[in-house]
Amino acid sequence: MAAALADSVAGTDPAESPGARVARWAADYRPAPGRTDEFLGSDGQPRGAWPRLLDRLGALTEPEITTRFVAAERHIRDAGISFRIAGDQREHPWPLGCLPLVIEGAEWEALSAGIVQRAELMEAILADVYGDGRLVEEGLLPAAIVAGTPEFLHPLHRVMPPGGHYLKLYAADLGRGPDGRWQVLADRTQAPSGLGWALENRMVLARTFPDLVQDLHVERLPAFFQAFRDGLTLGAERIDPRICLLTSGPYSSTYVEQAALARYLGLMLVEGDDLVMQDGRLHVRTVSGLKRADALWRRIDADFLDPLELNPASRLGVPGILEALRNGSLVVTNMPGSGLVESAALAPYLDGIARRVLGEPLRLGHPPTWWCGDLEGLAYAQANLDSLTLRPAATPQRGAARDAILAGPALAAERERVVAALRDRPFDYVAQESAPLSTMPGWERGPDGLSLVPRPFVVRVFATRTPLGWQVMPGGFCRFAEREEVDPIELRLGIRSADVWVLSEKPIAAPLIVTQAAPRVRRVGGHLPARAADGLFWLGRYLERAEAVIRLVLAHLRSVGDAVGTDISGALDTPAALAVRALLYEWAAIGAADLPTARLAQEALSGRARPGSAWAHIGSARRNAAALRARLSGEVWRVLADLSESLALDTERALTESQLTGRAERALSQLAALSGLTHENMSRAEGWHFVELGRRIERAINTCTFALAFANDEATPGCLGVMLSLCDSQISYGRRYLQGAALDPVRDMVLLDPYNPRSIAFQAEAITRHLADLPALAADGIPEPHHRLATRILADLHSGEAADFDAVRLTALESDLERLADGIAARYFPTGPNALRPEKLMGLA
Amino acid sequence: MIYTLRHRTTYRYGRPVRFARCSLRLKPQDCEGQSVLASAVTIDPSPATAVTRHDYFGIDALAITLETPHTTFSVEALSTVRVERPEPPPPESGMAWERVRDAVVAGRDLGGRAPVHFLFPSGRVPLLPEVTDYARPSFAAGRSAYGAAHDLMLRIGRDFRFDARATNVYTPLSESFALRAGVCQDFAHVMIAALRGMGLPAAYVSGYLRTVPPPGRPRLRGADASHAWVAVWCGAGWLGLDPTNGVPVRDDHIVVARGRDYGDVAPVDGIVSGSGKQRLKVEVDVIPDTETQDLALVG
Repeated sequence: MAAALADSVAGTDPAESPGARVARWAADYRPAPGRTDEFLGSDGQPRGAWPRLLDRLGALTEPEITTRFVAAERHIRDAGISFRIAGDQREHPWPLGCLPLVIEGAEWEALSAGIVQRAELMEAILADVYGDGRLVEEGLLPAAIVAGTPEFLHPLHRVMPPGGHYLKLYAADLGRGPDGRWQVLADRTQAPSGLGWALENRMVLARTFPDLVQDLHVERLPAFFQAFRDGLTLGAERIDPRICLLTSGPYSSTYVEQAALARYLGLMLVEGDDLVMQDGRLHVRTVSGLKRADALWRRIDADFLDPLELNPASRLGVPGILEALRNGSLVVTNMPGSGLVESAALAPYLDGIARRVLGEPLRLGHPPTWWCGDLEGLAYAQANLDSLTLRPAATPQRGAARDAILAGPALAAERERVVAALRDRPFDYVAQESAPLSTMPGWERGPDGLSLVPRPFVVRVFATRTPLGWQVMPGGFCRFAEREEVDPIELRLGIRSADVWVLSEKPIAAPLIVTQAAPRVRRVGGHLPARAADGLFWLGRYLERAEAVIRLVLAHLRSVGDAVGTDISGALDTPAALAVRALLYEWAAIGAADLPTARLAQEALSGRARPGSAWAHIGSARRNAAALRARLSGEVWRVLADLSESLALDTERALTESQLTGRAERALSQLAALSGLTHENMSRAEGWHFVELGRRIERAINTCTFALAFANDEATPGCLGVMLSLCDSQISYGRRYLQGAALDPVRDMVLLDPYNPRSIAFQAEAITRHLADLPALAADGIPEPHHRLATRILADLHSGEAADFDAVRLTALESDLERLADGIAARYFPTGPNALRPEKLMGLA
Repeated sequence: MIYTLRHRTTYRYGRPVRFARCSLRLKPQDCEGQSVLASAVTIDPSPATAVTRHDYFGIDALAITLETPHTTFSVEALSTVRVERPEPPPPESGMAWERVRDAVVAGRDLGGRAPVHFLFPSGRVPLLPEVTDYARPSFAAGRSAYGAAHDLMLRIGRDFRFDARATNVYTPLSESFALRAGVCQDFAHVMIAALRGMGLPAAYVSGYLRTVPPPGRPRLRGADASHAWVAVWCGAGWLGLDPTNGVPVRDDHIVVARGRDYGDVAPVDGIVSGSGKQRLKVEVDVIPDTETQDLALVG
């Protein structure tokens, strides 16, 4: 075998010839006996496409290969491709293994035919169970299996899916059985995940090994995604349908994948709160009012879809949405209730059903399975417990798919549990022949270089329904385990993912990534959902508030610094220094106003327990940004992470005043970088207006607060100096006026001067401009209330004089600005009183 | 026996509700031994849309939407029902419980009335090992299903304390079981979990119970309550058992709906937009025709 591989490649490395390298990899590779392996057959000979792949890789030196791996990992980090483990808030970088799973075109074709048949079969079962119920009547499908799965959704009995099909996306988790044949470990029909990961894997690997992808004739994916996207709207009522991807939100373990798919396929990413039923139709709440939604790709389990008719505890769905399914105005992928055929207990009946409804035997099998509700199945299970795995018949929809209660030879204590389970309710279980997963090669970086090691794996394969029938994605989502005990079917630590390459015999001309159909040219990405607008607005506000806190901290540090050499104790209780402390305390950035200078600064910058610290505001900004992943560039995300890091000071370790000044100044530069990014990189669409509105309103309100504290009628020159520094206006002031800070000139500069980008007048002008660019609700030409308020605020500032702005006037201005912020929230955001959250009727009626 | 039933539910909200979507399951069912002579529901404010939906389990649900802003929502159901049930069978009669179980699992009926739907855990009735273990002593090998269920009902009636303050409508089964206390809803849910744990189909029945005012005293208006009990599948049909009172169901019980648990039959259920604080008041009158003189007072 080693000789066969060594012949084919010419040497490129003086230390080790490519052939020798490949031979070494192959010689060290030892699949476990009794397990099917992708690379080496049962005869120990290389199989399928692997020799071709390894020969090509062998032509690279090991340092070259390593360099490519490192570049791939950097790309994954920079692009923010990450995942969460269920129940954990942290994000982990996407664990892509750099060796793809390769499958020959001819083998793939046979496998695809099996997948298509299985998808057809599942569709037929669903249509029958939710329709005439013949399969149960004829005894081909036990009623207790259907009734026993929570995915049999009674309210959808006899509700035909618009377009006529239950399944638009079918997925199967595959492995090889002990006989070397592919078999289905699990069917996925509820809301299969992994399409987005498959796409990301391909993008990264195509970058890492562009030459291999080309030369080995790797089949391309875009045509599949185009077909899938087209299929989402099959059966929709309107010609240019709006398609939404319904996510369970940023804390879902696959949110990053969902956001990426929404971007790639051009779908509107929505949460349940974004949607509302009106007049029997589903609508999205956008800043332009309610807009009809025609098609929904749900990534939440059907049970959560409608708190009114399905799971009443759900906060993820839309009350009453089933009505839109009944009247045919909404296409949902997959039709709610489709999860029914994921039940593990179906396996023993599939062949019989295939023969009856398709007229042919099942092509693609599964591990031998017995349903214990069947008396013969139960007897077999009880007699062979040692070689069987017992699993819930109605495969749990969430969490582990292979939730075994017992695997392999039973321990005495376990045996008792199993016997008890089978005694009371045997029909809740299936018994499945225990067999280890088949293996594929993965790289391991050891001290002596790279080596190939066998890894247990599963591969998820996808098929989508097109008007011409099912189309299988020529690729897939493969997961393999780095340790034997970890089950690769679920994403968690210790699992890596691999791209799947289907190798064609002929060269592939199709593009690697971009979709083929010429897209319609457009300049704006569609209506902005109200919730996204809300998030963007608050992103702007939190960033601006963080900046205000940091500027106060700097003013605080400087008031002490300036006094050095004169009289430190005197400087600490100047009116200006006291006012700075008072304001930080009032803003909950510090816990007490009389802390020592450095401690006060450190707490206001990074206090974890302080809701008003700069660190806390950046945290809030990041949480808002997380839900806006599909709309923000990776750079914004990265700078936010850096900002958080600058401000995360170790509370145990006290920093000096100059160190704190350094940190605060660095954070200010990072904030400036963020506002630069929004200014230079964000499209001037609705989203940008909301970030800017948030920032401008927050800045105007803060400046009012500052003026009340530092530019009131009693302000000392020290206070006025602080005022100028908070508004970053010292330089302009110094250029304009030769004498020191005086009340009216300072007030005019920070309140009324329309040329100063820090003045309130400047903010008010910007706010009125942004509001004018946002969509109006009614076409009657009458300005909406929040518009009128903004116009009045601006007129007051334009027509005012510095001397007029005493405490009374400033307080009135501040409350006008607050009202304006509330008015914008009420008009555009889902949290406003016009779009209250639905609540359950309470109590035992 | 002919009954006149009045069930009035009133919600008061802290803030005006602009929109509500509700399901009302207040119309008593025609079923074995019971026929509905008249039934009407009055809703205030009057609904923008109202559709009667006949659900999978045969329950009539009136789906309504309210689009007029309101701070009070009231529903009153008025029905006249004739109840003439056969006498319950003697406790130890009928098919053995294991045979009943096996026959249900082997059944080929998936219709809404098929007992197989009532065999599995449901939203409010998880199957807990401790509840199954509690049930086990009633299920001697070969005992009749009805006999075992009847014995279980008596035990629950003895072991559990009726205490309206011990639980509320959201108390999970595990908690009311551990407390050995609760109201009719808890008693019924515990008994259903126990029966299903042993492999017997069990249903939650919502309805009313005739109460007898103390001798010489008039019936107090609105003093009755809605009630809940259990129906167990005994191989040939459903038999009603009331664990709260420890009695088989006969002519004192009036059935409104039968579902897998409270969630399927909740008389008033729904979603409102932004109600602020909610206050709920329920008034029920169950008036047998022997007291027709009271009808004028109530109707």
